[in-house]
Amino acid sequence: MNEEQIKELLQSTDQAAGLPVFARLSANDVRRRIRRRRLLWTGPPLAVAALVVLGLALWNLRLQAHRVTPPPKQDKLASLETQVKQLQAQTQATLELVRDVLARERQTQRLDALEAELASIPDPVEELQKQTDRTAFTLVYQADRLYRELNQTESAVEAYQRVIQLFPRNRWADVARARLVEIRKPRINKSKTEGDPKCVSQSV
Amino acid sequence: MAKVSEEKILVERFGRGDDSAFDRIVARYAAEVAALANRLLGWPQDVDDIVQDVFMAAFTGLRKFRGDCRLRTWLFTITINKCRRHRRHLGRLRSVPIDEMAPNLCLNEHAEMVAIDTETFAQVRRAVRAMPARYREVVVLRYLQGLETAEICRLLRINTNTLNVRLNRARKRLKDALGELTEVTS
Repeated sequence: MNEEQIKELLQSTDQAAGLPVFARLSANDVRRRIRRRRLLWTGPPLAVAALVVLGLALWNLRLQAHRVTPPPKQDKLASLETQVKQLQAQTQATLELVRDVLARERQTQRLDALEAELASIPDPVEELQKQTDRTAFTLVYQADRLYRELNQTESAVEAYQRVIQLFPRNRWADVARARLVEIRKPRINKSKTEGDPKCVSQSV
Repeated sequence: MAKVSEEKILVERFGRGDDSAFDRIVARYAAEVAALANRLLGWPQDVDDIVQDVFMAAFTGLRKFRGDCRLRTWLFTITINKCRRHRRHLGRLRSVPIDEMAPNLCLNEHAEMVAIDTETFAQVRRAVRAMPARYREVVVLRYLQGLETAEICRLLRINTNTLNVRLNRARKRLKDALGELTEVTS
């Protein structure tokens, strides 16, 4: 079997096999097939990658949800500082309130003391009235002694008039007027003891 | 020469974005590419996938085609590579032991010397399929495609001596496989 026979045999076999079957292609078909193939090549890996990323994200979210993360140290310090500042502010406000209450209490005590002191001070008008009364009495008493004991009627009349002049509304001025009336009238009833210095002193 | 210049024009037109040039290329070479793939794969007849792969690769790489060789040669190179990949991928064309083919040999003793019946063709096809790819390729390119030595060497990236060695070994394998048949035909 030489080369020509082999060649003839092969060509006969090829002719007997017939023409191959294939679809006619166009540039658009080829472009569409390339696009489809690229999608087939890139689609599944991209989908797998997306699924992996999604799974990792879900896993991470689940871990974060289950894990109680302690607050960072700085945040804790900051919150403590804030609490301390709030406590300081509250303490300061309480202290100011206490000081205010104490001051008000002191003021009240001082006011009470002043009121007590003021209450302890005697009424000057009344005191003046008493002094006036005492002076008028003294003058009437001296005038009575001049008139009754020393028989110095003129001096006694002057003294009675002075009392009436100085203390015209005082009750001792009335006594002095009564004495003057008595002096100017003739003595009828010496037994009467009105305007007696002893009685006057007793009444005082 | 006219064909070469027309190929260049088509390639240039495609490079400028003219899709109709690619359609022309497909129309001109699809049958030859399909025939070559059909022979290299052992006449499976359905070579649609291979043809599509070849022209998709050509579509992608045609803008990089430098014109160092003929467009036909370039397409044949792509076809050979795709067929090799196809064989590796699918494992369809495993080497079949010659002994398995012997029972299928059925000679028509009453036939004429030149007449080869269908069973004989099947025997030849099995013998070609059984050969390793390196021998089958040279046989197909030389005896069925009718390419010149230089073009085969260029396609397979081998030198002439290697080609001759492979051809001799391929013929010997075919003789061994078709021994009884050759005796009858001779």
